[in-house]
Amino acid sequence: MLELQRNVIFGQFIDTGSLIHKMDARVKLGATFVFIVASFLIDSFLGFALVLPLLALIQLVSRVPLGYVLRGSRFFLGFLVFILFFQVLFYPGEVSSSSYLWRWGFLSISTEGLYTAGILGLRVVFLYYVTTMLMLTTSLVDLTNGLELIFGPLQRIRVPVNELVLVFVIAIKFVPIFIEEVERLARAQTARGVPFDEGGAFKRARRLGRLLVPIFISGFARADLLTTAMNTRSYRGGSYRTKLRQLHSAAADWLMLLLVVVWMLAAWQLPTWLTA
Amino acid sequence: MTHDSGEVPIIELRNFRYTYLEGTPRASEAIRDVSFEIRPGERVGLVGPTQSGKSTVVDAFAHLLRLKPGQVFYRGEDVATPGYDRTGLRREIGIVFQQPDSQLIEDVVGADVAFGPTAAGLPAEETRRRVEESLNALNLPYPEYRLRYVHALSGGQRRRVAIAGVLAMHTPVLVLDEPMAGLDPRGRRELLELLTRLQRDRDLTLVVCSASLRDASLLCDRFVVLDRGRTVMDGPVHEVLQEADRLAELDITLPETVNVARKLKELFPDLPTDLLTEDELEAELLKRLGAA
Repeated sequence: MLELQRNVIFGQFIDTGSLIHKMDARVKLGATFVFIVASFLIDSFLGFALVLPLLALIQLVSRVPLGYVLRGSRFFLGFLVFILFFQVLFYPGEVSSSSYLWRWGFLSISTEGLYTAGILGLRVVFLYYVTTMLMLTTSLVDLTNGLELIFGPLQRIRVPVNELVLVFVIAIKFVPIFIEEVERLARAQTARGVPFDEGGAFKRARRLGRLLVPIFISGFARADLLTTAMNTRSYRGGSYRTKLRQLHSAAADWLMLLLVVVWMLAAWQLPTWLTA
Repeated sequence: MTHDSGEVPIIELRNFRYTYLEGTPRASEAIRDVSFEIRPGERVGLVGPTQSGKSTVVDAFAHLLRLKPGQVFYRGEDVATPGYDRTGLRREIGIVFQQPDSQLIEDVVGADVAFGPTAAGLPAEETRRRVEESLNALNLPYPEYRLRYVHALSGGQRRRVAIAGVLAMHTPVLVLDEPMAGLDPRGRRELLELLTRLQRDRDLTLVVCSASLRDASLLCDRFVVLDRGRTVMDGPVHEVLQEADRLAELDITLPETVNVARKLKELFPDLPTDLLTEDELEAELLKRLGAA
């Protein structure tokens, strides 16, 4: 509890200077989009097994330590397992009576339930992994620029792209700040006799409630401060803004994107071909 | 609590090292090598520029970090041994943090000050007495402030509530991290008087963290100077102040009289710099002027 930053890495950026870090942000965003679409299309264990080598490759090339990513996903994975447990118990689909492993009233464990929950779990883990990797390997400046350039054409039909991207990026940027804040609060309250580092999981969770009011107050104070800071420095969004850093995409970037597209198509279609 | 002998230090750090998020790509080394002992009843100033590690050291006192064994001791006991009574430790060491807001738990002043004593299991009557006593001591009259909303108070008042919350615990050790920050001159004077009085009446062990020797010198008899995670000086106030130039190099704010003495050294090279009051400065100058 006292070192929450170890267990939640969402929104953090780790600069290892790897190939993936140097890739054009637009290409990375595009690849992430392809991954997200693929995560909904792929619906077999074999398909996800085909995805795995690519993810392993990304992990390896990015040089972000795997242990760090896994540790940092503990809370998320724990929560996912918790939800999937109920997904299995309350599985609503058609189940042939021979595939029930256990049944009690409306609660049951069936092979169909386990299968669906398994696919669903893999899907969520896949989604979580690619978005986390995107943020671990892309600085916020690049992320902002990339998003603004991708959605830039929408400005012609008066979609406030800059403002929307700004809000999105600030929201992400605030996550690690909030986590640090929670940590600081937990430490100070521990010093006053709320033992955040002792007791069972349920007790610990209940103590978290005590942090809610102060965290909200400091959140609003921060937002207020940020607004003032932006106003005093005459921030205005839209097409008036110019970029200090221009994004450059090389042929290699587009090849990577192509690789991702082909790989995902394969992971989606190959299992049906093989079983047919 | 008995303060039997001055032999066993109440707090001791032995070659304390600490790295935040150790073993991750975001690791940052905060403390490289810090060792010192604090004896019961001492008034110690923990001085150093920003990033010197003061706040990390304070967190270590009450075991608020993932400590490794053999580095932090309370009354001779290693606080990092498995099964060590951390809750008990935190009832002995009262910490007033840099940002008072982080340690205010309840919404209402009275309830917040009562939080510690209640958590420690004191009877309601005793708790009420302590809340009243602590709030009054900080010039927040009990009947008037008891039901006020914490978050509606001013920054200085919130700091005083935070201090009251710690005082109500009647801890033998009181640690204050930058207690003077954000207080006006009157608030500073009042806090100074209060701390001096408390320290005397309750026989407290007092630790004051600050980037300014000006504040700390009014409260402490001994300084431990930190720089980039290491202890660089440790000694009585006058001894440390003799190396005023070195302190200034470390970006530590010095008392006005010391600054004047440093300038006057151009005229009187043998002028000492450990002059805390104008009277001391005047006496030294008169001595030299008389001689000339």
